Amino acid sequence: MTKAVWGSVLTAAAVLLFSNPVYAQATDTANVTVSATVSAKAKLTVGGTASFSDADPDVTTLLTATSAVSLDVKARTTTNGNVTLTVLASDDLSNGTDVIGIGNLTWTVTGTGFAAGTMSKTAAQSIGAWTGGGTQSGTQTYKPVNSWSYKTGSYSTTVT
Amino acid sequence: MFFSRRLVVIALAWTVAAPAARAAAQSSTATLSANVGTFAKLTVSSASISFPEADPDAIPQIPALGGPLVITAKSRATPNAQVVLSVQATDDLRSGVTVIAASNITWTVSGGGFVPGTLSTSSPVTVATWTGSGIRNGSQQLYFRNLWTHPTGTYTLSMTYTLSAP
Repeated sequence: MTKAVWGSVLTAAAVLLFSNPVYAQATDTANVTVSATVSAKAKLTVGGTASFSDADPDVTTLLTATSAVSLDVKARTTTNGNVTLTVLASDDLSNGTDVIGIGNLTWTVTGTGFAAGTMSKTAAQSIGAWTGGGTQSGTQTYKPVNSWSYKTGSYSTTVT
Repeated sequence: MFFSRRLVVIALAWTVAAPAARAAAQSSTATLSANVGTFAKLTVSSASISFPEADPDAIPQIPALGGPLVITAKSRATPNAQVVLSVQATDDLRSGVTVIAASNITWTVSGGGFVPGTLSTSSPVTVATWTGSGIRNGSQQLYFRNLWTHPTGTYTLSMTYTLSAP
């Protein structure tokens, strides 16, 4: 009987010895496809107004707007797509029947990619040009030519 | 493994106790064993997600359409071992030759053990960790960083989730 007992103990010990296996790390995976749509988009923010104080044409040949107009350009395009900002006057500067040719309105600028120019009512004029999307900020200061030939009055026009 | 040890203890107790009754009976030994190995099973609620077009000023972080991914991670691991769920992008977001870095995709989470993160192509990023075996549920809301500088296009990439139970 003693022999049987010891046999059982040894059997159990053997089970204990071999019942502690080392398992490999288990893994499972899952794949998810991601898609994103990026479309062309443009946003222009113009801040401020352009107004001018009267001045002696002999002293000040070019009037300067009392404040610059801020220009914030945001655009999303292709990698090398061209982003352009233009301006076009709807008409000449007018005060009733009195007119000052819109070609007398010039501007200077600050900011990368922005360009100085002269206003037109027949063809859009470039204010800025960039390559690729992004955000751009600058200012535009209007400077009309000051002339003795202007008739007195308050002149205005609309630019787009 | 824990289950196997318990069976062995039972077997030992049985074989030691048996001789008392064996004076009048034939004895025999039966060995019971059960192997409980490590195991991992991962379920993600959708095989694809998409981000719609949006104004970068209005929605700087675009949430994935359809809401969060629901994740179920079942694991059988060794006691105190760390079970890890990670995700890695196979590549950046691509639209033809145009590329947007995969790091523009981020996520928030809900559920115990889950952590927020940013997608990477270079190494797996941890989505969740737990200790030991169990069934864990959570959700992962992915976002696409919406920038004016992103070139236009329809971009895709593939993400691989890996659940590891050591």
